[in-house]
Amino acid sequence: MKSNIRNVLNYALIKISLIPLNLWIISSLIFILLRIAPGDPIDAILGSGADDEARELMRFKLGLNQSIQIQYINYLKNLINFNLGDSLSNQEPVMEIISDALPATIELGLFSILIAMLIGFPLGYMGLKNKNKKYDYISRIIGISSYSIPPFWGAMMMQLIFSVILRVLPIGGRMPITGNPHNITGFFILDSILKNDFDAFLGSIYHLALPSFTLGFLLSGIFSRSLRSSLEKSYKSDYVDAAICRGINERNILLNYALPNALIPIFTISGFAIASLAGGALLIEVTFSWPGLALKLQEAILQRDYNLVQGIVIVTSILIISINLLIDIIIAFFDPRINY
Amino acid sequence: MHKLKYLRKKVYITCTLIAIFSQYSCTKKINTSQNISIASSGKIESIDPARANTLKAYQLLHALGDTLYELNNEGELIPKLAESKPIISKDKLRIYIKLKKNILFHDGTPFDSSSMKFTIERFQNIGTLNYILNNKIKSIETPSKELLIINLNNPSSSIEGILTSVNLTPISPNFYKDHFDKFLNDNFIGTGKYRLKRFSNEIQTLSPNVSYWSNKTKNNGINFIGYNSSSTLYGAFISKQVDVLLSNSIEDTLRAKLNLLDQKNNLKESESEPIEISFISLRTNKIPLNNINIRLAIAKSLNRQLIRNKISFNLRNSALSLIPLIFKKDNSVSWPDFDPKESIRIFREEGYCDGNIFNLPLTYRSNVPTDKLIAFYWQQSVKAEMKDCFSITINGVESTTIYKNLSKGIYPAVILDWTGTYSDPEAYLSPLLSCDKFIRNNCLKGESVYSGSFWASEKVEKLFKESDNLTGVERLKKLLEIEKRASQSLPYIPIWTSSQKAWSQNYISKPIFNSAGIINMSELVKNEK
Repeated sequence: MKSNIRNVLNYALIKISLIPLNLWIISSLIFILLRIAPGDPIDAILGSGADDEARELMRFKLGLNQSIQIQYINYLKNLINFNLGDSLSNQEPVMEIISDALPATIELGLFSILIAMLIGFPLGYMGLKNKNKKYDYISRIIGISSYSIPPFWGAMMMQLIFSVILRVLPIGGRMPITGNPHNITGFFILDSILKNDFDAFLGSIYHLALPSFTLGFLLSGIFSRSLRSSLEKSYKSDYVDAAICRGINERNILLNYALPNALIPIFTISGFAIASLAGGALLIEVTFSWPGLALKLQEAILQRDYNLVQGIVIVTSILIISINLLIDIIIAFFDPRINY
Repeated sequence: MHKLKYLRKKVYITCTLIAIFSQYSCTKKINTSQNISIASSGKIESIDPARANTLKAYQLLHALGDTLYELNNEGELIPKLAESKPIISKDKLRIYIKLKKNILFHDGTPFDSSSMKFTIERFQNIGTLNYILNNKIKSIETPSKELLIINLNNPSSSIEGILTSVNLTPISPNFYKDHFDKFLNDNFIGTGKYRLKRFSNEIQTLSPNVSYWSNKTKNNGINFIGYNSSSTLYGAFISKQVDVLLSNSIEDTLRAKLNLLDQKNNLKESESEPIEISFISLRTNKIPLNNINIRLAIAKSLNRQLIRNKISFNLRNSALSLIPLIFKKDNSVSWPDFDPKESIRIFREEGYCDGNIFNLPLTYRSNVPTDKLIAFYWQQSVKAEMKDCFSITINGVESTTIYKNLSKGIYPAVILDWTGTYSDPEAYLSPLLSCDKFIRNNCLKGESVYSGSFWASEKVEKLFKESDNLTGVERLKKLLEIEKRASQSLPYIPIWTSSQKAWSQNYISKPIFNSAGIINMSELVKNEK
């Protein structure tokens, strides 16, 4: 056990030491790709009506008149100093824009994963328990439909049912129009709890419900299918057969034998799901006007806001690398068979 | 027995949660706020007048500040913060503007000539759209608190129109002293009927300015909300989560639905004068579109009625001119109308048809849904009516890329739109037709290059210069002459004009637009539901 922990720590240290190299590759790629891509931030800011002089002046103001090499060197210098620069379109520090949007994305992501697990795991388990019966078919249909529904369509249907027809949930946004969010951590639910503001807490939940349920439902299929197949594999293994022969009851077999072993691949899949949400769920954020990172990234790309795009990509990369590392460590910790 | 107990427990918990949630949902439906909620598309990046360049930001700034002048629907200059109309010196190089007294900014400091000077100079210094001043202003003098003198480099008849621009909304020098050379995106201190109470990119809350110098607001405040998609905007309005829907970018199918609801008296619809013009820019400096006859044949192949009917459900107006009618004061028609037979005749005359089909590569902005539909319907209409002579190949490119490449002459034909940055016919002609450097009819440097047509005319440049020395009807005549010359040379083909639209619930008074396509929020009244 001790040596395994040491191995995991060594592995983590190697991974962490590789992060700067990863980030350098990612940041260089995004820098080059943005400059190669057609379009110009100057045109996005000034539109088509500005003359050459106005364009050149703006280019000078934004530092885009310098050669690509100088821009790249300055960019790396700033990056080393943890300075992501200012947004080209509104001149606000990129870090501030990201720190405003990131909590919204994380809040939505966490609740969606939670809902996906709450829907997906029982569905997967019930499907397996009632193999080839009504429950199984229902669970399969829900599972398959959840990841085959286009997110924007699913989101619009949810809006139509719960906001337009039933009128029980708000159609978009993160807080009630009249609500005043307490901006302590940026996580509105946590902030309202910290401030003991029950109205703000309910308002946040009320606005989070529809987007998180939609995203959670769309992700639930992955969880239900993965749990079903992992658990099925576990139930077919020798140690479960041995447990049955020893007369251990069904509940204990599930909780102590089948499930812990089935959880390993689920951890991996959950890691992928969480990592995929780290950059935000664009279509959900757009449809529900959820002011998260994906929405910012989309706007920044449209405006060719190089600094903001670069900043968001780097922060998202850090998050994804960290989540993957964390998942690797957790798996290694729980599964002694894995040798790093 | 145990299972039943467990099931019962689950049912209780679920029912309790549903009850709590629905209770909260139902109470939320009752709008306790007396504020009027206005929704529109997108978000506001900045509320700084020097940075603002979207209609949404203009809308907000119009409520929070006042300009020196406004144009009424007849195109007349109406003083707002100015005491009277501007007085122009005989050489037309000095403009004297007398300002109103006893007007306070929201921070309590007085509005005077120095604050106006500060505002204009700040806009010249950092304004995103500062090119609209285009070196027109030489210097600004403030001989007294109530008198502002603007010295011009050259006579300019458009300067009066520019003084109505929301970008020149006066701001408090005291509050903005640290922001003379940088934007202040999330706060605003002006002289307007409303004060900014809360600002985020998505929601802005305005409260009435109790010490406003003129008529007070008729409501208790405004909540301005941005949603990102047309369907969300529509859903929010239909489910009465917002009181007013304000958007020109909402999809045409939804506009048609809202129009239908208005006809059934389920809501109130209002629209501005049509001030946005959609047009096709033709690259006139290269073969084959350098041939005026080809351009004429293309112009005559555009079935505006079909496009208007199929895409906008007759809610936009076909355009046969570049200047919106509100600025022309007459209904003069100048551009060639749809005539496929005549178009075929011209193509045949030019050696096309009967196996030699003229193909026009038409580029549209892929992120503008109506542009794609216009391109598609025109392509299909040409295919149906003149397939032996003329065909169109359509190609979608994202707008930022198009703007970047326009001046490089990459696109033979491209669909664009334009809204004047100030309320004046010149604001529609100059950005499309003026040219600083040209050889015969080929523009080498100037506005028509940036609009992708590369068309120039010595006579047009002369007329522009002459119009700068004129005012009133005489000036308008000159500008209409410029438009007439453009209609004969066809560097552009107008498609339609669009209006800003607003829809309000029946318990809200009907929104009223001004000539710049902005609604007067202070006039909105919420009646008993």
